[in-house]
Amino acid sequence: MNTGEVLRIEGLKKQYPGVQALKDVDISFSGGEVHGLVGENGAGKSTLIKILAGIVKADEGVFRFDGKESTISSSKDATRHGLSFIHQELNLVNYFNAMENIFLGHTYPRHYGPLVDWKKLREQTRTICDSLSIDLPLEKPVSHLSAVQRAMVAIARAFAVNGRIYFMDEPATALTDVEKEKLFNVIQSLKEQGKTVVYVTHNLDDILRITDRITVMRDGQVVKHSRTSTMTKDSLISAMIGKNLASAFPPKTGTIGKPLMSVENLSNSLLRDISFTLHSGEILGIGGLVGSGRTELLETLFGVRSVTTGTILLDGTPYRPGSPGEAISSGVVLVPEERRKGGLVLSRSINENITLMSLPEVSRFGFLRHTHLRRKALEAGRSVRLKASDYEHHVDTLSGGNQQKVVFAKTVMRIPKVLMLDEPSKGVDVGARFEIYSIIRDLASHGAAIIVVSSDFNEVLGLADRILFIREGGMTSIHDNEGIDQEQYLHYCYGRTHA
Amino acid sequence: MNTHSKTRALAIIKTWGTLMGFLLLLIVFSTLRPDVFPSGRNMRNIIEQVATLAIVASGVTVVMITGDFDLSVGAIASLVGVVAALLMKSGMSTLMSILLALALGTSAGLLNGLIIAYGGLSAFVGTLATMTAYGGVALLISKGTTIFALPENFKVLGQGSLSLLPVSVLIMAFTVFVVYLLLEQTTYGRRLYAIGGNEEASFLSGIRTRQVRLIAFGVSGFFASLGGIVLTSRLFSAHPQAGSPFMLNAAAAVFLGMTSFREGEANIMGTLLGVFIIGVMGNGLNILGINTYVQSILTGAIIIFAVLLSSIAKKRQK
Ligand SMILES: Nc1ncnc2c1ncn2[C@@H]1O[C@H](COP(=O)(O)OP(=O)(O)OP(=O)(O)O)[C@@H](O)[C@H]1O
Ligand SMILES: [Mg+2]
Repeated sequence: MNTGEVLRIEGLKKQYPGVQALKDVDISFSGGEVHGLVGENGAGKSTLIKILAGIVKADEGVFRFDGKESTISSSKDATRHGLSFIHQELNLVNYFNAMENIFLGHTYPRHYGPLVDWKKLREQTRTICDSLSIDLPLEKPVSHLSAVQRAMVAIARAFAVNGRIYFMDEPATALTDVEKEKLFNVIQSLKEQGKTVVYVTHNLDDILRITDRITVMRDGQVVKHSRTSTMTKDSLISAMIGKNLASAFPPKTGTIGKPLMSVENLSNSLLRDISFTLHSGEILGIGGLVGSGRTELLETLFGVRSVTTGTILLDGTPYRPGSPGEAISSGVVLVPEERRKGGLVLSRSINENITLMSLPEVSRFGFLRHTHLRRKALEAGRSVRLKASDYEHHVDTLSGGNQQKVVFAKTVMRIPKVLMLDEPSKGVDVGARFEIYSIIRDLASHGAAIIVVSSDFNEVLGLADRILFIREGGMTSIHDNEGIDQEQYLHYCYGRTHA
Repeated sequence: MNTHSKTRALAIIKTWGTLMGFLLLLIVFSTLRPDVFPSGRNMRNIIEQVATLAIVASGVTVVMITGDFDLSVGAIASLVGVVAALLMKSGMSTLMSILLALALGTSAGLLNGLIIAYGGLSAFVGTLATMTAYGGVALLISKGTTIFALPENFKVLGQGSLSLLPVSVLIMAFTVFVVYLLLEQTTYGRRLYAIGGNEEASFLSGIRTRQVRLIAFGVSGFFASLGGIVLTSRLFSAHPQAGSPFMLNAAAAVFLGMTSFREGEANIMGTLLGVFIIGVMGNGLNILGINTYVQSILTGAIIIFAVLLSSIAKKRQK
């Protein structure tokens, strides 16, 4: 078992137009360790990982594998060195099924010369899934899978080859605690086998729990490096953002007002008999396990899915949106779960993305008012602390967390009556997360009603005034958010009405 | 070269490569035939020749932004020409005939949109089918023959000029300007490009994606019709297959245009450049006396070369 240094990187530099993503980074990884890599949005974590994967070319830098200098210029090189990756952004081929995606870019098992051995492929995929103890539909195109399943496909992909160093860039943002635990078990066993896991996340509890060493990056540089046992959450935060953060959630302001949206016996193919009243100024959390119908509820209220029976009143008038367009014009807005799939047009500029929902507001007689548009976009971007060198740049040049802020800025610009958030802080760093929570609170105190779905129950518990629990498409209970702890929360998720 | 200037060079090739290729083409033809090619008369000739294609291709650009495709523009142009000619011969006023024919062609485009955006057929299959059908109608009503002896005042669109400027070129300039405004200055243009980039995200942002695509096909139908009218006037006769070459040439022009100015996206300036490359190639090779079959081969090769060049530059830039 090799517990010495397996990879050392020296003097790594990468310049993008307008940003120096990495400035002279030195970092090393050892066998048998879980190495945490943290830092604010845009710190350069993913850039480092993409360079190692051979996706992005470094400007300068030396790589030493087991002391021997080597280069990485393609993904083949990375595989040859035993590097394996879970990238931050899902890069799945939508019309391929899980098996095909998992083996994409790796060698398919073959027989009779060049023909793909589908039977063996299925077996190998099963083995991988079993080792992760997950159950995936193998034959369906991945575009038909849920967000969690898609994330699991991306994870399984890293195990299609036998690696030495596993780089995991925010692997768990789409997972629930159950799947996350499974992943952590796998990480533990990799470590026991003497392998290296480099784990990137904004979830500091996870980092402190599973890692042995932590490297903190800021603005393209390594600013701190130490053993996990010597660090606390606070010291980690201050190393990351350069200052202390008093608490994770901003205090409550404002009061709860009159009923804004009332839902009665809402049912469709995925939901059963959901009823609740949402007040202006209120933040309603939706609790439940993945697949319980949380996302589907939001989608139904947003006009993506149709209502079969039941009534919804918005501001006292019947509301039954036939499309997101109708929902948005009634003032109901959604921040969708997967930003790259449903939230962003990656090939267009930041300005265009932020204003996409508000085109009538930045135009006159259908003609764009460019100066006004840019000012509005900048305002919205500032309000979510978007870090971007130029708003004319494409959204895909932004770091993951900043992409999420663009989605947020887009919806905030609408000044919604009802704002629905599906995993709002996915991939957002602690500092910015606090900002986003402040904006949510602020919107609420100005009379908006907010619905939050999150797999991170701390987020739900930290924000919500009330929590509605659903299970298998039906609602099980609704509670004021007072004195609910983790354990109780889980009980409610499983449909027990009393703890 | 160090990495920085290399990246810069690649970026330049990526955005300006096709334009540089076009200039190179002009230089090559001018050196080979300095007496004929660069003359004012020939330049005017080229512009007049490409005007109709530019009008049609501008419309196709709008459709291709969303990732759709329009194979039926050639058939619509032919059909509109035939209908306008028949109406004029039936004694209707020239203006009225033109307007009616334009309305018909625009409706044909909207029908494409209906079938594709609302019916869910792929744009390729949908317009392949309507292309065949519209072409059939043109052949049927013209009985497969060329229609001559059109009213004298109809000549002005394709052959007249306003002081020095040919009317067809003015119509081309107007078309390009209108499409430019539509794509770059209106909310509709933003919606089109958004759908082209990510249809699901556009839908979730409240864009009526089907309606936007439907209108795009209508626009394409309208400009195909306008191109058909100008062409008919220029030839001063209507033939049920006169517009056929538009189908491939317009698509080729848009594809060439996608390699310049904006990476990988159809854009109006790029399309105009594409149209001129195709026009200059045809004219120059003609002047050099190169056989038309060889011309086709060379045009195909140039398209492949341009697209390859820009995609290689794009890859290297990472
Ligand atoms: N293709 C690109 N073109 C231009 N700039 C880029 C590109 N990719 C990344 N950047 C910039 O490089 C910087 C580092 O980005 P990176 O994705 O490495 O951040 P990160 O640490 O992974 O952040 P996050 O926590 O948000 O995922 C950011 O400022 C980002 O905008
Ligand atoms: Mg990242």
